[in-house]
Amino acid sequence: MRRTLKFRRFKERLFQGAGLFSLCLALLFLGGILGDIAYKGYSAFITTEIEAGTATPDLLNAHASHSPETNRWITANSDVDMYVKKGYKGNLTPPQLQAIKSLEETGHIRKAFNWGFFTHSDSQESELAGIWGGLYGSLLTLIVTFLTAFPLGVGTAIYLEEFAPKNRLTNLIEANINNLAAVPSILFGLLGLVFFIQILGLPRPSALVGGLTLGLMSLPVIVVATRSALSTVPQTLKEAALGLGATPLQVLFHHVFPTALPGIMTGVILSLARALGETAPLLLIGMVAFIALPPEHFLDPATVLPVQIFNWSRSSEMGFIENTSGAILVLLFVLALLNGIAVVIRKKFEA
Amino acid sequence: MDIKIDVKHLNLFYAEKQALHDVSISLQSHQTTALIGPSGCGKSSFLRCLNRMNDIIPSARCEGQVILDGEDIYARSVDVVEVRTRVGMVFQKPNPFPRSIFENVAYGPRIHGLFKSKADLNDIVEGSLTRAALFNEVKDRLHQPATRLSGGQQQRLCIARAIAVNPEVILMDEPCSALDPIATAKVEELIDDLREKFTIVIVTHNLQQAARVSQKTAFFHSGYLVEEGETGALFTTPQDERTQGYITGRYG
Repeated sequence: MRRTLKFRRFKERLFQGAGLFSLCLALLFLGGILGDIAYKGYSAFITTEIEAGTATPDLLNAHASHSPETNRWITANSDVDMYVKKGYKGNLTPPQLQAIKSLEETGHIRKAFNWGFFTHSDSQESELAGIWGGLYGSLLTLIVTFLTAFPLGVGTAIYLEEFAPKNRLTNLIEANINNLAAVPSILFGLLGLVFFIQILGLPRPSALVGGLTLGLMSLPVIVVATRSALSTVPQTLKEAALGLGATPLQVLFHHVFPTALPGIMTGVILSLARALGETAPLLLIGMVAFIALPPEHFLDPATVLPVQIFNWSRSSEMGFIENTSGAILVLLFVLALLNGIAVVIRKKFEA
Repeated sequence: MDIKIDVKHLNLFYAEKQALHDVSISLQSHQTTALIGPSGCGKSSFLRCLNRMNDIIPSARCEGQVILDGEDIYARSVDVVEVRTRVGMVFQKPNPFPRSIFENVAYGPRIHGLFKSKADLNDIVEGSLTRAALFNEVKDRLHQPATRLSGGQQQRLCIARAIAVNPEVILMDEPCSALDPIATAKVEELIDDLREKFTIVIVTHNLQQAARVSQKTAFFHSGYLVEEGETGALFTTPQDERTQGYITGRYG
């Protein structure tokens, strides 16, 4: 007995060690990726500015010459920006380098927080490109996604869990919803392309079509999450209400739904976070086009943040590489925020 | 004595399995009837037939008649909500709503619109809690969550909640099985008081409890109603040998 006990204990330690090792490995990868992005991306939030009237137009941003700036400090072009921030000479000529040096000595050039990165939309010039168009497009798209997927998904789940008879048909529907949750997102893009654009003729790269497509994608996830939240409501609670003469609908709205709501909200927020980070289906419905203005309404041509990241990542220009990482940081921050909200909701109602 | 509930030839099936076989029994008003028998004998299933609680189990099917004041509660014209309002239920495990003590008792009157003013509702809540012998213990914390009460207090709250809708019959499914002896004694005392106003049917595993609280006792065994009668008579001179075996502790 003692001999086998030693062996069993050894196996236990081995198992724990393997778990710890894989955890460390995962953390290492995560840290590596985040560190790389943060290292490349933090400089996107800083920009180089030159005091008005102290430099020739070839050092300033592409729009400075034909849109008269009223500000004292004018954004420099990306070559100057890269040189000042990171020391890359790029395409700068020796006279230009000389001019930058003298500007630095006289204090007419400075590094400042890049507000433009958050307030500008996409641009051909990396120093002027910002994420506002993508962020606002993402917001409009998510609103559409929420408005379609939430009522439909929760309604479907309530019907299946609380009212539907258990028979072959509902079993089939159930199995298919579970399968749909695992379908690759790009297929939902194809569906959106065919159904919303070709059949319904909705305007092509709009937040409406994008939101509806992502709504279709989120639907099965929300149904599954809502059903599991509903199924955790104790039967005794329902019986208590039924025993007092409550109708099934009263039981649902007075007791079952409020009890399950934190779980439902967690599922909805997590599926919206997934929709927010989704790129592939939106490429198929044409939201990949270059769009220099933020959308004004749901039918305007729009793009979303992850697609903008995708677009920028295809450029080889230093400025856009920096912008790509910067936008990824913003996207990760928003996603972390949404997940954090989901955790807070769950903790708050569990207690 | 008036007959409150007259059960005639009741058969209950869960899918293909028959849980009750041809049960006929008359329950007198203002009496407590105890249902006893070994686990799985059908006594809880029978109780749940009396307020159509088995309706929520999709595979359950019921035959026969349960006549409440001359009307079959399984008739097509009868609404199940009305049945459950007239026949209240207290469950095995205390199951208060995760709301305040006040809201727990007020819930029934609220959904049925049983009050005209806020003061009316306060009276109903206070009256129900008093009748359930709980008011003095909770009067200072009516708006605290009911889940903070002890198990015995929670069960009395569930009784208060059931009587707040002013039912005619109260069904109790092993109401004391999750309670300690002191809380059990309080609930038993309460059952005796409630009999004046309500008709009570109680399922219990505890034979002493059945002897203490009930006037009539019915013994169930594997889905059959074996024997029923005055509690004293049934415990002292059982007619059937299965009843004899059960109450003397030979099986169960």
